[in-house]
Amino acid sequence: MSGGIARGRLAEERKAWRKNHPHGFVAKPEYLPDGTVNLMVWQCTIPGKAGTDWEGGFYPLTMHFSEDYPSKPPKCKFPQGFFHPNVYPSGTVCLSILNEDSGWRPAITVKQILIGIQDLLGQPNPADPAQTEGYHMFIQDEVEYGKRVRQQAKQYPPLV
Amino acid sequence: MALPSRVWASPAEGDAIAISLVLGDAGGEQTREAVGGLPGGGGERGEEVGGLRRGRGERRWEAYAGGRARGGGLGVGVPVSVIWGRGRGVVASWWDEPEGTDMEVPEKFKEMMENESDDDDELEKISEAFICCVCRDLLYKPVVLACGHISCFWCIHKSMSGLHKSRCPICRNQYYHFPYICQKLHLLLLKMYPSAYKRRENQTLEEEKDMGYFSPQIGAPEYQLQPEQKIIKPSNASVPCFSETDSSLNACSVRGGETLDSMEHVHSGSVHDDIGLGRKDNAATSAPIAADRNSKQIQRGGTCKQASVDDVLCDSCNHMLFRPIVLNCGHAFCICCIVPQTSEMLKCQVCQSPHPGDIPKVCLEFDHFLEEQFPKEYGLRREALQMKHEQFLSESPSPSTCSSEAGKESFHFSFSSGEDPLPWWNASSKVHIGVGCDACGMYPIIGDRYRCKDCVEQIGYDLCKDCYTTRSKLPGRFNQQHTSEHKFEIVKSNAMHNIMLRLLRGQLQEVSAVSDALHETSANAIPSSDNTNEDEENVADATRPSSETEANESENQRLA
Repeated sequence: MSGGIARGRLAEERKAWRKNHPHGFVAKPEYLPDGTVNLMVWQCTIPGKAGTDWEGGFYPLTMHFSEDYPSKPPKCKFPQGFFHPNVYPSGTVCLSILNEDSGWRPAITVKQILIGIQDLLGQPNPADPAQTEGYHMFIQDEVEYGKRVRQQAKQYPPLV
Repeated sequence: MALPSRVWASPAEGDAIAISLVLGDAGGEQTREAVGGLPGGGGERGEEVGGLRRGRGERRWEAYAGGRARGGGLGVGVPVSVIWGRGRGVVASWWDEPEGTDMEVPEKFKEMMENESDDDDELEKISEAFICCVCRDLLYKPVVLACGHISCFWCIHKSMSGLHKSRCPICRNQYYHFPYICQKLHLLLLKMYPSAYKRRENQTLEEEKDMGYFSPQIGAPEYQLQPEQKIIKPSNASVPCFSETDSSLNACSVRGGETLDSMEHVHSGSVHDDIGLGRKDNAATSAPIAADRNSKQIQRGGTCKQASVDDVLCDSCNHMLFRPIVLNCGHAFCICCIVPQTSEMLKCQVCQSPHPGDIPKVCLEFDHFLEEQFPKEYGLRREALQMKHEQFLSESPSPSTCSSEAGKESFHFSFSSGEDPLPWWNASSKVHIGVGCDACGMYPIIGDRYRCKDCVEQIGYDLCKDCYTTRSKLPGRFNQQHTSEHKFEIVKSNAMHNIMLRLLRGQLQEVSAVSDALHETSANAIPSSDNTNEDEENVADATRPSSETEANESENQRLA
């Protein structure tokens, strides 16, 4: 049964975000070419946390919500090939709070997801690798890993 | 000032669109002209704007349009919000957002949006405690889970699994039983936020019409699990007299006698009078004090004008709820009024329905609300209960159930708390996927399923074995017009579903298991599918509880 909770909830999420959101973050629904809004896909930006190698980067993230949201979590994707131990080659973020069977709760807000992913950037979880390159470098060569992360940060400069 | 110049909207066919113009720097005339160019503003842009009228508040204009809308120009300098929805239910509301940038919303309009974004909620500042975590809107027909978390009736039901254990949307606590709506909270919200609650009602009703399933109509005779408010009223007016500690101290014992009295009549129809009388005895007549208290609340209430202590009384002791616990049946009690029964399942003192599982946790959101809203009464309740606690300790060495703080942790019961009572994945268990018991709320039903043959509602009326044998009198969960004259039939769980489940679980180790399962009769057990195919269901009539298990077994043997 999908009774259309998803859209109502997303509208409320949007309203809450407009009232108040963490500095540097962007989250807004996708605009279709005809000027209408698609509530089910949000284009977001996550700033790298200050004091980490991720600082200075503004990482684009797309959230795909299903009709079962918020019973089911949104799928969060960085660009394909994004470098991070817990990001699949497709760009999908692997994070417990985004997994329906482990950490997801319908009470988790868009804001909490984005902050959770920001934390994940600086604190990868080696117990749950999603890509070989990022994982091996993180495990084997800390210096090289940091260099690679800083290099990636430069690829994603601020939008303004 | 960066103000939106264009507005975008994507309502569905037939949605009503309300466009609210907040008169900013532009004058009245200019704003009116801008409306002509709004989405749905005639010509190639769509249908005509239905009309423009002055909205609530001097600074709001509202335009209504039907049909499909597309983007349209609005004239620079006019801040705008667009709201569209069905009926009066708001589906979405947006401000314009120039592409590529996240528009800076001027501070004063931010404020305005906060106060005015929802038409009805303007004057009703809804407490954060009563925002549903699933839909992020005002709770509607609230249910309280065993973990003490509150959500809307539909938000909980839709987030339940139907296949196995469900999890609380807030804390992921596992549960099987869909609780009844908490009438106390329902009536409280209705009283506190009448227009927002009405909006939610209309919105939900529209959704229900689309689905073809309906939530219970509270106030309908079928849903009267508790004596009506009116009947309690006379005693309410005088009961919670906190200066007399005696009356608080005796609350539990008095209540004990009273429920014994009402227990015999609880299903007989005369229940209202009995409880009413019982509570009158309980009450010390001190109406002036109560009246005084009420007037104070009216003065105090900034956020919550109308709620009074009378709206938040314990269903048992008739004092203001203190650390409230809401049982599966939806009745609310103080933590100290839940009497632990070591041998049997916990039963509700009002409706006598058994509460499955452990004693629920305190509903903390509700508790915090009570503490904030009625600080004086809450303090007195705490003191009274602490005194009672001490008295308990001095009189008997046995642990008290009335401790104010430690109580929550001190409850321990022997009945099936630790182990999983429902091993649904077990090959022999019969899971009725997507079918819930209309009495206890078990969802999915595990074990025998009894379906009402006479209920015509699309969703049907089903009972689990326990509720069928105990002849539960609880009404249906979806407003079914079920009566005790209706007949039941037993429905087998779908054999194919069970095989699928086992395959999914990787537990299908022997081929023989398949052949065993195939001997089970099959039934399409999902009422949510559009047409439940009656022909495929192999049902055995069960007229009496004593004969139906036999019928079931003989059926199985015959087929085997």
